[in-house]
Amino acid sequence: MQKVKLTIDDKAVEARDGENLLDCALRHGIEIPHLCAHQGLTAYGGCRMCLVEVDGMRGYPPSCATPAAEGMVVRTQTEALRKLRRNILGFMMLEHPNSCLVCGKRELCEEYRPTPEKAGRTTGCHSCNNKSGCDVRQLAADLELKELPEAPIYQHRPLERQAPFLDRDLNLCILCGRCVRVCKEQHGSGVIDFVGRGSAAHIGQAFDQSLLEAGCSFCGACVDVCPTGCLSDRYAKWHGAPDKRTATTCAFCPEACPLIVSSVDGHVVSTRSANASMPLCVLGRFSVAEFVNGLTRLETPLVRVGTVLRQTAWKQTLEELAARLALFEGESFALVCDTSATLEDRLVFKRFTTDIMKSPNYIELAPDGRGWTNPAQLPGGVRAVISVGDLITAEQAGGLEALAVIDFFPTPLSERADFVLPSTVFTEVEGTILDAQEAARPLHAASLTIGAALPAWQIVTDLSHALGAEGLPYEDVASITAELGLKKVFLALNRTASPAPAVNPALRSGFYHNHRIEEQVSGLLELPQVEGCELPKSAAEAEAVATAFATPSPTPTPSNGRFKIVSTAEIIPNTFEIIIEAPEVARKALAGQFCIVMADAVSERVPYTLSDWDTEKGTITLVVLEKGQSSRKLTLMDAGDCLAHVTGPLGIPLDIANFGNVVLTGGCYGIGAIVPIAKAMRAAGNHVTVVTEAQSWYMAYYREKLAGFADECIPSTIDGSLGEKGHSMDVVGQRLAAGIKTDLVVAIGCPFMMMLTARETAPYNVKTLASLNPIMLDGTGMCGACRISVGGETKFACVDGPFFDAHQVDWDEVRDRRTAYAAAEIQSVGRTASVAVAHKHHGNCGCVKDALNV
Amino acid sequence: MSHISERYTQAQSLWQGLEASDAPVFYVGAATCGRAAGAGAVMDRLRSEIAARGIDAQIVEVGCLGPCCLEPLMIAHKPGTPDICYGKVGPDEAAAILERHVLGNDPCAEWALGCMDGSRLDGIGPLMEHPMLALQVRRVLRNCGRIDPESMDHYLAQDGYRGFLRALELGPDGVINEVKNAGLRGRGGAGFPTWRKWEFARASAGSPKYLICNADEGDPGAFMNRSLLEGDPHAVLEGMLIAGLAMGASEGYVYCRAEYPLAIHRLEIALTQMRETGLLGENIAGSDFTFDIHIKKGAGAFVCGEETALIASIEGLRGMPRPKPPFPAVSGLWGRPTVIQNVETLGNLPLILHKGAEWYSSIGSASSKGTKTFALAGKIARTGLVEVPLGITLREIVFDIGGGIDGGRAFKAVQTGGPSGGCIPAEQLDLPVDYESLTAAGSIMGSGGMIVLDEDSCMVDIARFFLGFTQQESCGKCVPCRVGTRAMLNTLERISIGEGQAKDIAKLQEIAETVKQGSLCGLGQTAPNPVLTTLRYFANEYEDHISKGQCTAMVCQKLVGYHIDPERCIGCGACRRSCPVEAITGETKKPHSIDGKVCIHCGACLTVCPSSASAVFRTSGELTRVESVEKRKSAVKSS
Repeated sequence: MQKVKLTIDDKAVEARDGENLLDCALRHGIEIPHLCAHQGLTAYGGCRMCLVEVDGMRGYPPSCATPAAEGMVVRTQTEALRKLRRNILGFMMLEHPNSCLVCGKRELCEEYRPTPEKAGRTTGCHSCNNKSGCDVRQLAADLELKELPEAPIYQHRPLERQAPFLDRDLNLCILCGRCVRVCKEQHGSGVIDFVGRGSAAHIGQAFDQSLLEAGCSFCGACVDVCPTGCLSDRYAKWHGAPDKRTATTCAFCPEACPLIVSSVDGHVVSTRSANASMPLCVLGRFSVAEFVNGLTRLETPLVRVGTVLRQTAWKQTLEELAARLALFEGESFALVCDTSATLEDRLVFKRFTTDIMKSPNYIELAPDGRGWTNPAQLPGGVRAVISVGDLITAEQAGGLEALAVIDFFPTPLSERADFVLPSTVFTEVEGTILDAQEAARPLHAASLTIGAALPAWQIVTDLSHALGAEGLPYEDVASITAELGLKKVFLALNRTASPAPAVNPALRSGFYHNHRIEEQVSGLLELPQVEGCELPKSAAEAEAVATAFATPSPTPTPSNGRFKIVSTAEIIPNTFEIIIEAPEVARKALAGQFCIVMADAVSERVPYTLSDWDTEKGTITLVVLEKGQSSRKLTLMDAGDCLAHVTGPLGIPLDIANFGNVVLTGGCYGIGAIVPIAKAMRAAGNHVTVVTEAQSWYMAYYREKLAGFADECIPSTIDGSLGEKGHSMDVVGQRLAAGIKTDLVVAIGCPFMMMLTARETAPYNVKTLASLNPIMLDGTGMCGACRISVGGETKFACVDGPFFDAHQVDWDEVRDRRTAYAAAEIQSVGRTASVAVAHKHHGNCGCVKDALNV
Repeated sequence: MSHISERYTQAQSLWQGLEASDAPVFYVGAATCGRAAGAGAVMDRLRSEIAARGIDAQIVEVGCLGPCCLEPLMIAHKPGTPDICYGKVGPDEAAAILERHVLGNDPCAEWALGCMDGSRLDGIGPLMEHPMLALQVRRVLRNCGRIDPESMDHYLAQDGYRGFLRALELGPDGVINEVKNAGLRGRGGAGFPTWRKWEFARASAGSPKYLICNADEGDPGAFMNRSLLEGDPHAVLEGMLIAGLAMGASEGYVYCRAEYPLAIHRLEIALTQMRETGLLGENIAGSDFTFDIHIKKGAGAFVCGEETALIASIEGLRGMPRPKPPFPAVSGLWGRPTVIQNVETLGNLPLILHKGAEWYSSIGSASSKGTKTFALAGKIARTGLVEVPLGITLREIVFDIGGGIDGGRAFKAVQTGGPSGGCIPAEQLDLPVDYESLTAAGSIMGSGGMIVLDEDSCMVDIARFFLGFTQQESCGKCVPCRVGTRAMLNTLERISIGEGQAKDIAKLQEIAETVKQGSLCGLGQTAPNPVLTTLRYFANEYEDHISKGQCTAMVCQKLVGYHIDPERCIGCGACRRSCPVEAITGETKKPHSIDGKVCIHCGACLTVCPSSASAVFRTSGELTRVESVEKRKSAVKSS
């Protein structure tokens, strides 16, 4: 291998033959910014971040595509280069929601509210799923980008959530081409490519096919290389950066691919291939987390009492089971397991059967080609069985006197059992499994066990002790592994023995310990099933899958045709104007009041300020930001759909009088909320000044509407593309400093905005009211969920508010009240099924789609 | 298959037979430009007249002679007299020429442009003395408009392929030497010495080596390559043989834009003829030189004129450029050494080899030898395709050859090099046209587009037009071009509708610098040029738009107001009736008025107001413009 000597930033370095300048520099610890270049992918040269100066070469060559040559003199950090890179990044940001990058209050905001909003369309870092990992954000900080050359452009590309497992928001795409290259080069698929030219260029599939139609196997490689939040793993996206990464092995099939499991607070959130050049299949990449965190995981031991299975503590369960099994030593006992259990588990099972139960009936079954293990043939005379999994037929179970099932999801067999013992899934244990070549592969615990579940070897070992005799001696997995005589178990990171698991649709119907993976992972239902690989379905399951895709017939809604959506429109990215038939609410509504909305019978009750109402038509208008599970349900409904319920008007209406000079400030959804207040204040004879705040010019709305009710309208934008540069409270502060008479300020927006408004007006002693929106349940003063502290006293936003003296509000507590269930919502919002399957409602038709929602 | 050297005698006698034909011959200029002007109808009429009269006459479809403003063109051969070239020949004129000149004694001088081959007849002088042609030196275009481009014999009769046969004798080194001494520089715009490109490719490892003829010609307003391919395809193909021999290639591609179907058709015919004559394939003309040529059609992308994007397109990939190095001469098509040449560069090679480097370099400037074709267009009296010695001045091209500005308006600038080029103002009219001088003036030679602008051209609008084009054609791969051009375009659009701000000029400059320095390929690197040159020479127009809301040329319609002078208006109502949006009100014989909020600035009222009144006038910013009827009519027509 030829080596060349060259100089980079006055440092003498050596490059390998054919190595490009970027790789050479990075290898020597010299940081050159780069976005489109990526390990293992061919050079692209499109982002222009890695431009350098090379003596003797014209212009600014891209270091990622320039081979190192003998004697080259390279400079990477000149002032001209920094300026060029900053300008180019500025261009990139023109087509990427960027207001947070240039916002003067960013540090303060991110301190107050560190986690991003779970938006549909991302309109800034504050609502981006990749906030913690975004390369562009990092670059903007490194290059000190603070200003943009022109008004930014929001491309208004469709938000793509109709594929299973992954979301694609092309409005965040910077066209680095990593996804295109990884699909073509590493996966050999070329499912996605550049489509269109110039500013219309975007990533897409041939002939506008969907990803499924274009043959995407959902290996997730594109998601893993995306530097922004454009491509995201639907299940994992809102969890933020993992706090732990564990190397282990995927146990979903005998390929046994090396896996890196990412977890947050002990919960699996996503998985990745441990071998960057070998992608995973849809099971290994997208199904592990949702499977492991399946909602029906068995969490506690169950003991049958009559017709019911009762939750019981481990000690008692094992004692009772031991007492029962003591009656069935020898041939009347059998233990059934399959070979997808770990070697350690199976050693313990075998020793339990032969040494403790003194039985010859250790039955170890092997799965067939589809991964399904056919039920065991029990020898005659067996009357007590421990089945590690769903491994004997219902008929056989009926003929037993004692049945204990060790499993991690309930099955028809466990429903019939006398004892149900909750065990673990492969990400939760240490152990060893065998792959298709009978080679040993290690499992490492990447997540905490769910509930009180225990590894199967542990359950059986504890049972052996409960049986009174000298039990099995194992204290930990290591001791069992040692006994197995496996001297060396290594993680094969560069395995070349078998090719990468290519598109294998049969895997969509994968089994793990006789559990259909797709039962837990709804996204898999959308992949095509291959002929000949169909697997037996229970009648109930067949019907459920059929109805999941059928058009539901109109069934009466719980609301019996009331609360119909008259119209719904996305008026600015991620914000919807929804008009609903609610004549009783409209009739009584007053400025400042809100209503509580339930999208369907099982959804959250969410408060929304009434933006407008029409007593003649009997409609109310709400401005809804899509930022979580419940707002998502609402905004995905169509005109003609019926909501489950609308309660209102609620809250104490704003006190309207002739105060003199009134300043109303509205930020984001708050702009919609101040409409009725402006109307009422104007009618009462006030001089009304409306200050609206939006991220950028394309996020401003209702300008004409508000102008009709205001004497003065001052727009402000974070990036300065419309009106004043900065926030609404900056405008308020400047006016107060200039001595403009202000009698009352009413602020409606996020708590951060209202809090800062209060700070701005406090020195001038101007009365400032804020409309608080903590979580609510009943909205009529009974449950206390909406409690907040004002002036040291506990108040309830629903009956004491929603307007409070902003100078008296404990803003930190408001934030804490609003984020109380954030972790749970992050879990619930990430079902992998596409939006079409998982979230679409037609007025609560009762189809299986509901079962997929939390 | 006949050997090429055996064909010459046959070809010459065929050609001479045509030239000295006893029967009338009509050579009709029916290239794309001629057809657009109506040559098809002319030929139909000739055919029917010939049939009706039962005479023995021939119609030969030829390429373009050059003066597109005078099309349809027709050369009439009346046996025994000099051939006469006629211009603006419609079907009636053609019939009349047949009747009066060919069958009679009246040479129809009213349509005659000149006699061919230096002759005279009855007061009709030689064609080459026509003002549009007098300063031209038609070398590359020598056959266009004269021969049938679908006849190999016609080409051979003009010493076709003799250059290539000499090249075979000289061998690759000899050819490279000859072309080096001739001083030929690439005619695609970069002006890179042709011989050097061949040497790089020869020195690089890899096989087969490829020669690509870049016939993508995407610059708006450029039709040099089209005319040559349609009018004399063999000249280009012979050039490819010579270049292929010199660089060591065995495969050639003509990448021709799909929008040139006639050129592609003619190329296909020519290639078949070459194969039949043993000029393609193995052992060409009995030598050990093997070469074959394929045609690859483009698919509507300007960026595929860039060599690495062109290569990607031939490879079946999306037309996106790649970083250089590696340069195509080292690693190009399918990773092999590849040379990409412009159509005109190749068209020069047969002449250089046949007539020698000394002859070739006898004209031109010190650094730029030979001739260059230019597509002369815009606000000029005589538009068309011209070929001039390099070093000629812009003034000679614009005023002598081009006849100056149409309608007597003032010259403002000439735009060269298409969307990658720049504008050269009146102060620089005496600039010699060669590579270095144009670059020093802030423009480029480009492939030959030359658009003349007058006082009614708004330089802000011109910049906006070209930037709109490059923005649409940008492939989207690199950030500076994709977004930077859009940012500049947005700024220009704001300026043209009166929303410009004082800092916009500095902002445009900075964005332009970033796009130039940061872009991956020539498209992006040169896209800011129209903006930069107009800022350099016409900054006052930008400032007027921004600070006064004034478009002096009355082009940016949002800044133009149409008014009626009540003291001059006679109330005839002609304007009111002509207004398509009913913006004009007024009673008969009473002064009319235009509602500025409704007016769509179509200019109809301006053209119909009687000259006795001349009551309609335009304002923009501080400027008021009242003009004569003729000026008004031609102004509105050409804007």
